[in-house]
Amino acid sequence: MLRNRGIVFKLIALVVTAGGFIFLCVFGYSYFFSRRTIEENINESARNLAQATVGRIEASLRSVQKIPLNDRYFVESTPLDPAALHDLLFNVLESNADICGAAIAFEPGKRQNVRGFAPYVYRSEWTIAFTELASERIDYTLADWYQIPRELSGPEWSEPYYGEGQDRTLKSTYSVPFYMTAKGQKRLAGVIAVDISLKRLQAIVSSVKVLQTGYAFLISQNGTVVTHPRSELIMNATIFGMAEEAGDTSLRELGRRMIKGESGLVPLGPGPLGSASLMYYAPIPSNNWSLAVVFPVAELMADVRRFNMIAFILAVAGLAALSGAVVIIAHSITRPLRTMAQAAGHIAEGNFDAPLPVSLSGDEVGVMTKAFEDMRISLKDYIERLTETTAAKQAIESELKVAREIQMSIIPKTFPSFPAGTGVDMHAWIEPARDVGGDFYDFFFLDRSRLCAIIADVSDKGVPASLFMAVTKTLIKAKAAPGKAPGDVLTTVNNELATGSETNMFVTVFFAVLDLKTGELLYANGGHNPPILIRSQGKPMPIEKTGNPVVGVIEGIEYGSKGLTLYPGDMLLLFTDGVTEAVNLRGELFGDERLLKELSAAADPSPSGRIEAVRQALARHSEGAPQADDITMLAVRYEGPLMEREG
Amino acid sequence: MKVETKKENEVTVATVIGRMDALTTSEVERTLMSLLDQGEMKLLIDLDGLDYISSAGLRTLLATAKRMKQRSGIMAFANLKGHAKEVFEISGFYSLFTVYDSVESALEQLGR
Repeated sequence: MLRNRGIVFKLIALVVTAGGFIFLCVFGYSYFFSRRTIEENINESARNLAQATVGRIEASLRSVQKIPLNDRYFVESTPLDPAALHDLLFNVLESNADICGAAIAFEPGKRQNVRGFAPYVYRSEWTIAFTELASERIDYTLADWYQIPRELSGPEWSEPYYGEGQDRTLKSTYSVPFYMTAKGQKRLAGVIAVDISLKRLQAIVSSVKVLQTGYAFLISQNGTVVTHPRSELIMNATIFGMAEEAGDTSLRELGRRMIKGESGLVPLGPGPLGSASLMYYAPIPSNNWSLAVVFPVAELMADVRRFNMIAFILAVAGLAALSGAVVIIAHSITRPLRTMAQAAGHIAEGNFDAPLPVSLSGDEVGVMTKAFEDMRISLKDYIERLTETTAAKQAIESELKVAREIQMSIIPKTFPSFPAGTGVDMHAWIEPARDVGGDFYDFFFLDRSRLCAIIADVSDKGVPASLFMAVTKTLIKAKAAPGKAPGDVLTTVNNELATGSETNMFVTVFFAVLDLKTGELLYANGGHNPPILIRSQGKPMPIEKTGNPVVGVIEGIEYGSKGLTLYPGDMLLLFTDGVTEAVNLRGELFGDERLLKELSAAADPSPSGRIEAVRQALARHSEGAPQADDITMLAVRYEGPLMEREG
Repeated sequence: MKVETKKENEVTVATVIGRMDALTTSEVERTLMSLLDQGEMKLLIDLDGLDYISSAGLRTLLATAKRMKQRSGIMAFANLKGHAKEVFEISGFYSLFTVYDSVESALEQLGR
């Protein structure tokens, strides 16, 4: 996907991806930890806040509880005196602002005091008023505040209730039963009840504020809401009612735990108690009510969220800035590269003078520009030199071509060379390995009946060899004379060539003189492969060696001559080692045996037929391997002394 | 193609292994010339490992021999066989150089 994009794109993709990844890691880590720290803090402060509030409520309740417990001793230990009781109750109200009413209610007797006796002192609007609760209309013994402690035989806080009268304040009554001992039997004598206004408790609870929307509320033993910032819920709702209404089973379960007196921290989803929040609840030991403190999570996490938002904005801005920087850097790299690519394009078209961008910086691009400039200069030089060299080489090649043409022109190549009836049939073939070879052959008449045939191989190739060859050929032709033995001719030629020779170039020469009248052949051999004699009847075979060395190196060598007689139809094949040492791709030589075999197997026994047969065999043998050496063959067939017959 | 040289008393023996053709002969020439430059006066060339020799190879041997002769040194051959022997026969090198059958007999003769 990235492969075909530019460097800028790749860098940005890479940097942004890597940067984004690093940011996400850091961001995630810090978010996780800050959240956890905050949660820990919330747990801690929720517990502390709730416990402190519970403590304050508890203290307030305990201070109230002490009063009836103290009064009980007085009532139990003193003979019944209505005036004293009245004073006692007055004192209670006067000395305790929290208490808004107090009563000492006696158990009605069977014979006396049938209606009961229950003096009640309470706060009226401005004063403290007194009344007797026992009347025809009201049987106080049926009231909860009387009946519950009586039945439970212990002090008891009542459920909250609204007081009668004008003030209609929310109240709760603390009732303590008292006993009389008569005839050794302890029996219930009545109940001391103290009413308190819950305003003070409400004030304590509503003073609990957590951030903007956090609050505390109190529920009674039955789950009735006693205090709540939403005053319409007070006394009108229970936690179970709210759970029922919202269909929230977890809230119901929570309510159960609260009235059971448990404490704990629970997360709350959005519901009747407000938005998502954490709630800590704890019991108030005195009256088994339960206090709950609600922590608004969203608000508590607002800092974290704000921090995250800022971090996110910073990250995006940072990545954008980074991308910008990358673009600038990448452009500073790619601009010279693009210019360079253009310049390279010009150079590729052959314009070596195309200006390259000047880079003053020492960075990699600068180094490359410098290298490129060096390349351009050396390439320019090289191309110039190459052009010159190529021109020179072409000149040399054309000279070589001319040299080859000259060389080939001094070798007789017209066959048949002599008119019919000359007494000899000849054919030759030469194939230089390079443009200019070192092999040559020649034939000419010394006089009317004597034919010279020469084959030679200079120990090199190319122009030097061809010059040496031309000299040798000319020398042999110049030194050959009627009546002069072939060996003497080679002796002379050798001395001429070897004198002052510094090149160590040598030539192998086979030189023969055939007397066409008699078929007598005299020959000398300077280190050359012995030619093959093919009798008209019989197997081809090499002629006898003379044992003389190559020509042109060492002065003073005496070359010997040998002789043999050709009969009509006999043929002599002169060849160079290019034939027998032709190599194929496997490195195998053509060989003497193969040459003899191909000569005897030739379908056409004429000189041209046999040479053609060997040529084709060589082509088959080479299998396309490059020719290593010049290949030369000269075939001479003696036709018989025809001239003699005519003459 | 490689040339190994060793010294037996005052005779330097150069053993030529492989082919001596137009391509490889220059290496042999370099080695032999450096031996001559060191002032060796008796050089025996062991051709036991020579597979093939072309006219270029012969020319190298000739050139070495001529330089040796100019300073009155001795150069000889040993262990000619196969193709090399044939080429030596055809080119008449047998008539130009001393050729021994073995390195031992050559050392015996040259050492005197």
